[in-house]
Amino acid sequence: MKQMKLFLGPQHPGMHGNASVHMFVDGDIIKRSYLLPGMLHRGFEKAMERKLWVQNISLIPRVCVPEPDINEMAYAQGAEKLLKLEVPERAHWIRMIMLEFARISAHLMAYGGLGGPTGNYTLMYHAHADRNLILDIFEQISGARVYHQYIVIGGVRQDLPVGIEKDMHEFLDSLESRLGEYRVLGVDNPSIIVRVKDTIMLPAEVVWELGVTGIGMRSAVGRANDLRKVMPYARYDQVEFEVPISTYSDARCRVDIKIKEIQQSINIIRQCLAKMPEGPVRVKPGRGQSMRWTVPAGYVYSPVESSRGEFGYYMVSNGGTNPYRIGVRGASYPQGLLGIEKYLPGTRIDDAALWVDTMGVCSPEIDR
Amino acid sequence: MMNSMNNVEFVNELVNGAVKVIKTDVVDNFQVSYEIKKNDVHLLLTRLKGAGWIQLSYLSAIDWLEENKFELVYILFNWEKPVYIQVRAKIDRENPVMDSILPIFPGAKYYEREAHEFFGIAFPGNPDYEKQLILEGWDDIPPLRKDFDPQAYSDRKFPKRDYPQDYSVKDPKESRQAKRAEREKRATSLRGGKKQ
Amino acid sequence: MKSTKFTPASKLSKAEVDRKWWEIGDYFRRNSLWLLMYCTGCCAIELPPAMTSAYDMERLGMGPMATPRQADILLVSGYLSLKTLRRLIYTYEQMSEPRYVVALGSCPINGGIYHDSHAVINQLDQYIPVDVYVAGCMPNTEAVMNGFVDLMDQIKRKTAVGWKKYHDHFEWYKQNQRDSLGEVIVHDEFHE
Repeated sequence: MKQMKLFLGPQHPGMHGNASVHMFVDGDIIKRSYLLPGMLHRGFEKAMERKLWVQNISLIPRVCVPEPDINEMAYAQGAEKLLKLEVPERAHWIRMIMLEFARISAHLMAYGGLGGPTGNYTLMYHAHADRNLILDIFEQISGARVYHQYIVIGGVRQDLPVGIEKDMHEFLDSLESRLGEYRVLGVDNPSIIVRVKDTIMLPAEVVWELGVTGIGMRSAVGRANDLRKVMPYARYDQVEFEVPISTYSDARCRVDIKIKEIQQSINIIRQCLAKMPEGPVRVKPGRGQSMRWTVPAGYVYSPVESSRGEFGYYMVSNGGTNPYRIGVRGASYPQGLLGIEKYLPGTRIDDAALWVDTMGVCSPEIDR
Repeated sequence: MMNSMNNVEFVNELVNGAVKVIKTDVVDNFQVSYEIKKNDVHLLLTRLKGAGWIQLSYLSAIDWLEENKFELVYILFNWEKPVYIQVRAKIDRENPVMDSILPIFPGAKYYEREAHEFFGIAFPGNPDYEKQLILEGWDDIPPLRKDFDPQAYSDRKFPKRDYPQDYSVKDPKESRQAKRAEREKRATSLRGGKKQ
Repeated sequence: MKSTKFTPASKLSKAEVDRKWWEIGDYFRRNSLWLLMYCTGCCAIELPPAMTSAYDMERLGMGPMATPRQADILLVSGYLSLKTLRRLIYTYEQMSEPRYVVALGSCPINGGIYHDSHAVINQLDQYIPVDVYVAGCMPNTEAVMNGFVDLMDQIKRKTAVGWKKYHDHFEWYKQNQRDSLGEVIVHDEFHE
């Protein structure tokens, strides 16, 4: 039995993010495999300890790059739990709108990423064309396309601009009418079905063993284990939406669930725009107090449901002006590191890049 | 929503019946944290796993420099009775050793490896906790300890760009407090030495 | 005064013939630059809109390329951690000449928002030569395209000579790399 050492290196057209999968292969079948993280390590947890509570807001969105709003939401939610601060009503609804738009854009990016390993670059063109429209909406709301720094402790930085509802409705209508096309291109396409049907299966016991959350769990276990339903934060209990689930968990099923979730997010945003009340959007600290703001001592874990799973910040404060320790629980930590080591052997080399895409392994949040 | 308070009470009874708890903290309806002794951690985690808390969400450590201790934290979740349980235990900082919880939760393998790399805590029972995961060729103390200064490391190893100094600083050592005290003293002296 | 336009080819010296061929080559090079696909950091999120139909890069003649042996531009998108820098230097040395480096974001300029981090380098100029910097955190996609057009101008004016600098000052670059990184050899430690 001969074995060859390969690595699906960091510089690869089918790879998502800067991580490499090292493997021993025999012919085409992987025998042993390992993910090499650490190429995007910046020392965030150390950097966050050295800055004030307000200064961290500009550092936080860079932890998870494709979907930066979940970082701000988890940080603000955790600090508000320690401060026992009540955020104004309108701010909750605006936060929900931003989070759902971020979820749609992350799902579109993952869908487009399916195009790289399978050779169908058309998927990427369609997905990024729509995603660019979302980034334009973000630019109108917060001033920046990718890193918004919009959700802060105490609410949202400023109110939505006048006339943005019309743009949002236009975009949502156009995206909804194209979801059928996405399904035909990506899920029912014979050349992609050959790659994704009955491959990369994830049985239910594996889910509990690894600690996988998000779409990987919902497609295998068959229950609606979504944090927005089970422990609702920010008025998710006042909007109606479904959580798509399944029990047959192969890669095609997961891509199908992604498209259904985009549809559900569109429903949520429409309900938010209809039900949003008027009012203030921010609880500001006193004049000149931002730099001296202290948070009472405590330990809190604040989780948020991101497009890849449960994303949480573990925040420890000792009553000072700087956070004492912030630990980031990346949503793709279990499925990226442990999943590739235990459950990739036995599949073929071309499935390695598909695992990274359909299971939602995002390398910046593994390395921080 | 009505039985979230029952869930927290259920958890309280379960934990207090199993081990001796040093400190309890109910954060809100969906989160409770307990501080226990280091030797009780395995017992409590096994009990909780048997009662339904089968998902390990996070495992990490906190560095308390003044008390000379590390604090390990384990966070568990149950989707049937949704309550986050934080289990915290303090260990010694000079010689940090903690038995690995790999037999209970197989997903803890990489969390423990990362805790070793960033804090220096040893986890006997975990087969390769000494291999470097995120850093490569690291030559200093574990970075997340409080006595490590990243700015000094960065200045020492990575050269910074020199910008030409074509501005002048008035007097960097002037203190505002001293000037304010001067002004107040002068004001009170003008008022006849009395504070109004 | 000798004009290269009307002098018959047999009377030109070898250096002048080389220069003419190089000019023709530069014309083709700058209108068909191929970009190596390597997403090194967070600014790489602004690259798919440039590559796809949102802000089409192909109208400038640029396209993606899978292997460094056949690519023209090494795009350093964002910050560089130590691990990435070792592999980036490997990749840079594998590219064939002439090769150009475009640095996106403010992190390669002076460290950016991670200037006090123990794992991010501060100034990319010390390790490999850089031709064009695009400032921003993160730069807009239109700014990135502007950077590419600037590179094309520089090639036209013959000022994009980073690869020649790497030849001339090779020892200085290597010394800097060894000082900051320790060693530039990539160890495959998981299989050894």
